[in-house]
Amino acid sequence: MTPEKRILILGIGNYLMGDEGVGVHVANRLQQQRLPPGVDVVDGGTGGFHLLGYFEGYETVILVDATLDDNPLGTIRLIRPRFAQDFPKAMSTHDIGLKDMVSALQLLDKMPVIHLFVVSIESLQQQGIDLTAPIEKAMPLLMVKIFDLVNKLQKETKETNMLTVV
Amino acid sequence: MSTRIVVDPITRIEGHLRIEADIENGKIKDAFSSGTMVRLLEEILKGRDPKDAWAFVGRVCGVCTSIHSLTSVRTVEDALDITIPPNAELVRNLMFCSLYMHDHVVHFYHLHAMDWVDVVAALKADPKKTSELAQSISKWPKSSPGYFSDIQERIKKFVASGQLGIFANGYWGHPAYKLPAEVNLIGLAHYLEALEWQKEIVKVQAIFGGKNPHPNFLVGGMACSISLDDVSGINAERLAYVGQLLQDGKEFIEQVYIPDLMAIASFYKDWGAIGGGLGNYLVYGDLPTNGYRDQSSYKFPAGAILNKDISKVYDVDLRKEEEVQEFITNSWYDYKDGKKKGLHPWKGESKVNYTGPKPPFANLDTSKEYSYIKTPRWKGNAMEVGPLARVLVGYARGREDFKAVVDKALIDLNVPVAALFSTLGRTAARGLECMLVSQWAQEFYDQLIANIKNGDTRMAEMSKFDPATWPKTALGVGHAEAPRGALAHWINIEDTKIANYQLVVPTTWNASPRDGNGKLSAYEAALIDTPVADEKQPLEILRTIHSFDPCMACSVHIYDEDGKHISRISVVGD
Repeated sequence: MTPEKRILILGIGNYLMGDEGVGVHVANRLQQQRLPPGVDVVDGGTGGFHLLGYFEGYETVILVDATLDDNPLGTIRLIRPRFAQDFPKAMSTHDIGLKDMVSALQLLDKMPVIHLFVVSIESLQQQGIDLTAPIEKAMPLLMVKIFDLVNKLQKETKETNMLTVV
Repeated sequence: MSTRIVVDPITRIEGHLRIEADIENGKIKDAFSSGTMVRLLEEILKGRDPKDAWAFVGRVCGVCTSIHSLTSVRTVEDALDITIPPNAELVRNLMFCSLYMHDHVVHFYHLHAMDWVDVVAALKADPKKTSELAQSISKWPKSSPGYFSDIQERIKKFVASGQLGIFANGYWGHPAYKLPAEVNLIGLAHYLEALEWQKEIVKVQAIFGGKNPHPNFLVGGMACSISLDDVSGINAERLAYVGQLLQDGKEFIEQVYIPDLMAIASFYKDWGAIGGGLGNYLVYGDLPTNGYRDQSSYKFPAGAILNKDISKVYDVDLRKEEEVQEFITNSWYDYKDGKKKGLHPWKGESKVNYTGPKPPFANLDTSKEYSYIKTPRWKGNAMEVGPLARVLVGYARGREDFKAVVDKALIDLNVPVAALFSTLGRTAARGLECMLVSQWAQEFYDQLIANIKNGDTRMAEMSKFDPATWPKTALGVGHAEAPRGALAHWINIEDTKIANYQLVVPTTWNASPRDGNGKLSAYEAALIDTPVADEKQPLEILRTIHSFDPCMACSVHIYDEDGKHISRISVVGD
């Protein structure tokens, strides 16, 4: 185990379809920032099974994606899906590709710990590479929440490692 | 009295696809294919730098992402008259080959196999007999009785945990499943092996394209630097890794995919007479070996076949206005000059006018416009594109490599050439061309290594990178053979910016609505006369539509005539 490569932040979505691409926007912005050691960021785009290798390479994966649900636009939720059916309905472009990939990971017994941030969007039919104002407004909070989660996870890891040493 | 059923795969990768089929006396009498999602990439591209178009089109779809980028750089290179260096062509070919190897294997095992392989029945197989059977059809080493009983245990545990996951939505036990339990178990075991395998071969894309998904391309060549002793670029070590990945990929295809395909096909020979459809086939050609402009150098030859007549292959010219035209008679678009006239893509328009029912709806009104997909025609003919078209054109052109694999398959299955024009033929052609591609990849790789050893490391032609060197206006067309079929982009450049950009993608050819003369497109035509044993479990529709490899990772929702959700099948197409 290499302690440096522990957490992957994987933003997914279709960059050409407005808010649907929020995960990709997050990945792009995180790549401009200084990240704590041991954290990688990947723009997963609309890749389905292509992403399987990434999931296997990390103990923890933080997914960021858009979702169509009844919550107000820009609502950010953090869920801990353990099975494919725990993923919210109507998740962005790759809803099925992603869910089936999670099933595949389970079937192969290679499921990492997954934390999933979903951002509620209004429509999957938008065209264009820009986020709408309500989603843009939610972005700073989303970034803070991601960093908070990363810090919390790393702190937990440190404590576990210390226990192991003792 | 016929019953209408609706099969509505939900995906947003390349647009939703919905099939409505009228069934009478156990057979499909009429079928309607509808793309229910609009794609207006053309609007996003207008006014942008043509050199950036590849990055946008590469996002159109997560499945064949690199093939859109490849087509785009070829389109701009055509407009600006740029010739790329041989190494760039070889690298593009290698990325192309690895895409095919990945895409076709994943399609077979993870999208299509469960239409033929009954997972539940596999659990009843005798591991010892399965092992004997596996060893009789292939020298693939993972074939012991212990291996197969382990697989069974794993799946039983998975099912017992209540997490059916991928297997939750199959029509297990459907009477149209015909395989012996042991063949089902081999299929299931290799479903799992292919999952592990596929994540290796995609690394070729990442190595040459810098990342995956959505690898980098470059107008004028490729953006990677190759030098045997470069520490940071693509050096001898990384090239050796590519060589290993391609070799392993070829072995998997020859020793797992092809033997499984032939074993499964031998129990479904009746599907060699179902799902043929149009009988017209169109191929733009790809894998140049002497420059993209020399079409005679293509590994996949271009051409068109009409009415299943493989004694004659017609030439195709994407520049001629009367050859490729898009019609909108049954599509939710308007053209400036009315809905009747077809437009060549250089004059293409993409103005949406949705006149369909307000969702959610039970049925589309198929007596008027019913799709977001336009209807392309070649010289007025509806054409099928994809693996079967490519294999038939290669075969009809008398190419020895195509003849060898096709004739062997026909002899092994003991079926006539006519069986190629079918659902089974389409599925078999995909495997056969995948094997050819994996063999050609070895040639491209060896050539690349030889060039580099001879000191040729040129990877891009950049003399026209500066827009100041461009003409005031330029027209370009670029084509590729995407895994799903003929793909082309057309560009109009004005004052160094994109004035118009039109894509005609494979799924547009295959999944489009009928034209103004009532002539069906490929999906619709292929479904006519397909038997459907159980309207509530239309497995047969899935077999034929999936044989085209619809460009989507799709979940298929099936509704009864009241629009009530009755069952759902989930299929992965990646």
